[in-house]
Amino acid sequence: MDFRDFLKGFPFQRWLTPKACRPLSLVFSQFREVLTANNQALEIIADMGEKLSGEYLFDLRYVEATVEELIAAMRRAIGAINTLTQDQCATLHEVFVSMEARVRAILTKRDDREGPPLLWLAEVETRHWPLVGGKAAHLSELLNNPKVRVPEGFVITSRLFHDVLDLNGIRPEFDLFEQALAESDVNEAQLDMLRQALQEKVLSAEPPAGFLDALAGFLRRLADLGGPPLFLAVRSSAQEEDMDFSFAGQFHSELQVPPQAEAVYRAYLQVAASLFGAKAIRYRRQVFPEGGPMSIAACCQRMIPARASGIIYSVDPMEPGSQKMVVVGALGQGQAVVEGQVPTDFFRLSKDEAPQIVEQMIATKHEALLAKGGMDGGLAMQEVPEGQVEAPCLDEPILLELAAAAIHLETFFKRPQDIEWTVGEDGVLYILQSRPLLITESAREKHQLSEKLEGYELVAADSGRVAQQGIGAGPAFLVETLADLKEFPEGAVLISHRDSSQFVQVMHRASAIVTQVGSPTSHMATLCRELRVPCLVGVPDILAKVANGEEITVDAEDRRIYRGRVVELLTYQATTSMDLHMAPEFRMLRRILREVSRLNLVDPLMQEFRPEGCKTFHDVLRFIHETAVLHLVELGRDDRCLPGGLARRLDLPIQAGILAIDIGGGIAPDAPRDQIPFSAVRSIPFRAILQGMLFPGAWHQEAMQVSFKDMMHSMMTTPQDTLSGQYTGHNIAIISETYVNLCFRFGYHFNIIDAFCHNVERDNHIYFRFLGGATDIAKRSRRATLIATILEAFDFSVKTKGDLVIARTGNLAQPEMERTLDILGRLIGFTRQLDVQMTDDQAVARYAEAFLMGDYGIVADN
Amino acid sequence: MSETNTRLLVVDDEPIVGKRLKQVFGKIGFVIETYTDSAAALAAMTEKPFDIVVTDLKMEGIDGIEVLKRVRAMNPETRVIIITGYASPDTAELADREGVFAFLAKPFRLDELKQVIYRAMETGGPEA
Repeated sequence: MDFRDFLKGFPFQRWLTPKACRPLSLVFSQFREVLTANNQALEIIADMGEKLSGEYLFDLRYVEATVEELIAAMRRAIGAINTLTQDQCATLHEVFVSMEARVRAILTKRDDREGPPLLWLAEVETRHWPLVGGKAAHLSELLNNPKVRVPEGFVITSRLFHDVLDLNGIRPEFDLFEQALAESDVNEAQLDMLRQALQEKVLSAEPPAGFLDALAGFLRRLADLGGPPLFLAVRSSAQEEDMDFSFAGQFHSELQVPPQAEAVYRAYLQVAASLFGAKAIRYRRQVFPEGGPMSIAACCQRMIPARASGIIYSVDPMEPGSQKMVVVGALGQGQAVVEGQVPTDFFRLSKDEAPQIVEQMIATKHEALLAKGGMDGGLAMQEVPEGQVEAPCLDEPILLELAAAAIHLETFFKRPQDIEWTVGEDGVLYILQSRPLLITESAREKHQLSEKLEGYELVAADSGRVAQQGIGAGPAFLVETLADLKEFPEGAVLISHRDSSQFVQVMHRASAIVTQVGSPTSHMATLCRELRVPCLVGVPDILAKVANGEEITVDAEDRRIYRGRVVELLTYQATTSMDLHMAPEFRMLRRILREVSRLNLVDPLMQEFRPEGCKTFHDVLRFIHETAVLHLVELGRDDRCLPGGLARRLDLPIQAGILAIDIGGGIAPDAPRDQIPFSAVRSIPFRAILQGMLFPGAWHQEAMQVSFKDMMHSMMTTPQDTLSGQYTGHNIAIISETYVNLCFRFGYHFNIIDAFCHNVERDNHIYFRFLGGATDIAKRSRRATLIATILEAFDFSVKTKGDLVIARTGNLAQPEMERTLDILGRLIGFTRQLDVQMTDDQAVARYAEAFLMGDYGIVADN
Repeated sequence: MSETNTRLLVVDDEPIVGKRLKQVFGKIGFVIETYTDSAAALAAMTEKPFDIVVTDLKMEGIDGIEVLKRVRAMNPETRVIIITGYASPDTAELADREGVFAFLAKPFRLDELKQVIYRAMETGGPEA
């Protein structure tokens, strides 16, 4: 993107226009109000996220009360930013109204009604999950997973289910039915009557106006994607199905449905009516008694003309501790397998890096379920050709490919999986469904668990804090820099010094995460909870205790780490972990957090960085924070707004020309009015930066030799070209005891450091932005690369774009914050004029190396 | 007292409390029974005494204070831990007088409850 383009999207441009200045003290108090409200909301979000780790006991009252508190805090924050910016963020109000409505819909359990009636599987986002149901949600995740193939398709969402109920006058009966089901003393006769009436009415229900046309459009697009003649598999996707409960075989599926809207709609009604089937209701009452009302969506996918189909269990349910997987399969479509209509081949495979077939029993297969072949669709049992009757339904390479997929899916979903697969006539393996595999273990064995565990060596006990509960085992993989993530193996345990939200790249492959420092409220912890990766943070010395590649088992429930693979614990996990997620308060909190805590709006340079781009509460808060900071930065740059009385010069041994504006506790009360010495600076983060700038050798007084070309270039650069074009102001530090917003213009480059630092690690952050320079873009970009390289080495997450560097870090304990800010101070001095010396790409590596070795003199020596 | 023979009873009208605690304490070897109805819980206690009772404060019918009183009357050796979302200073004082071992505010970390229970196993009567 051209630099000018992204400047256009940048909110602070507006503040460049002249405007009457409000009294600074007022602006600062408004700014602090924004920070306070923002922090309060973030704290509530962090608190809710922590509850989801499984480490806490909470109830529905907690969820409801906390959501109300959060909404109030959000409104305060939005009000505060509009006061500060004089209503430049007015659209935030509207943006938030719809977010709030979505969260309230979850609280009142209406979140399966709001949204489109049709959605492409590939376009399903987490916010659509209640609408598309569990099975479709899982399939959409798999569709985006490059390691497996899923047939394309779309979802008829639960929105349609509700529309159909309302339109056909079925709602009152539905409500009565759910009411009857919820009572502790169920009247069986009444319930049975209600469910039969509902089934009948649903089967003959009329579609809403325009729906069939829309459906026909979806079917055309699906047919246009190519492939064999289109037929559809229309399968149920109920709200909780496949997420927390298997519902295996409880609902209806229609296969080989012809691609006409009317036929697909009829198939959908069959699926919807099965919600009221006697079988499904029995299951609900048994497994899911406190579930509340349910709705149903249907997943419509292209039928794969099948050579063979079947099931793979990623764990042998008969011997959960055996490290074996089980495959059953038959020729043709898989429905015949799951319904036990045909004899099946049986394979047992070892479950390790290179799975092997350890046992097989091949059935005599005279029949297979195959397409009838007509335009009307449908499947029928057909005779198997002579040569295939005694042969295995799968050959070894496909079987091994299937085994690898199962291992991957188990790591991906973090529990043993029950997977439906099919192999097309072209030999391509497809995954049709993946759901949690339920394994039962006798209560007696569970009781003996603690005794069995005594035989294993403990690497750590009662150590660290739980960011996400769970149990995971695998080879330890030590991550020292983010580059190591590229090598991260499937199923490994990630071990790192500190946490990073960048780990999200490998979370689907990780069986657990352990860090030496970190807190359960970090972004990484939030992501672990979202993806259910067992995670312990703050485990002392873990890096020293575990060798790379060594097999370990992490129990992020009892905060223990064992050497080796603790089969008993993994079995325990497979047989119990679902209980927790079944609880209604958990499911509700998790849904709410999906709307609230995810951060999409990370990069202020992206076009979406505007109110309309906010998708979650967290995005709104991020936008508000950034906007407030930029507002102050702009104010700091505007001389008219900075009366001499507020900005006070610092008296430093280096010529940095910094003016400080104290908004509370940043400067000692007995300091002189002007020419403030370093010793009088009380601001924790500012002091740390200054300390770094004053570090011997880090600051270079002598000006670099600027070539004629460089000079010409800087003169030709118009002010609109770069932010560094405007440097009529001073270097301004807006400080308080715990905050600094430092805005530097050295020569032709522009540098912002925004940091908050006190004794609560969660609040701490550093934001660093560097842009521009006097020389040509190549040299400036090299300096940007240099800065990025150095910051990455200090665990910042860094983005560069030409000569622009944006780096962030946070959630660090105060001493580490101060150390990092000190390094930034040295870096400012070190790179101040370096772009002139960035004559070739090798210079980047040379200077980075020198800086990291503490050889700051290299700049002056050159 | 060790985990493997410690008898723990939990009574809370929110089913999730019993479910979770059963999971957590069952895993580490406690003998645990859970109830959502305080009358049923008290009936179970008359059958065979428990070492530790964890009870919610606000419940329909017999509330947590009443559970505390009856447990202490039945078996003074049993340590009672009250978990609650709302503890006014008055109830806290009352519970203290009745010999509660500890109060824990909901929501709490399971580890906090674990620590309180371990302390209860080590010491006798009410906490100082």
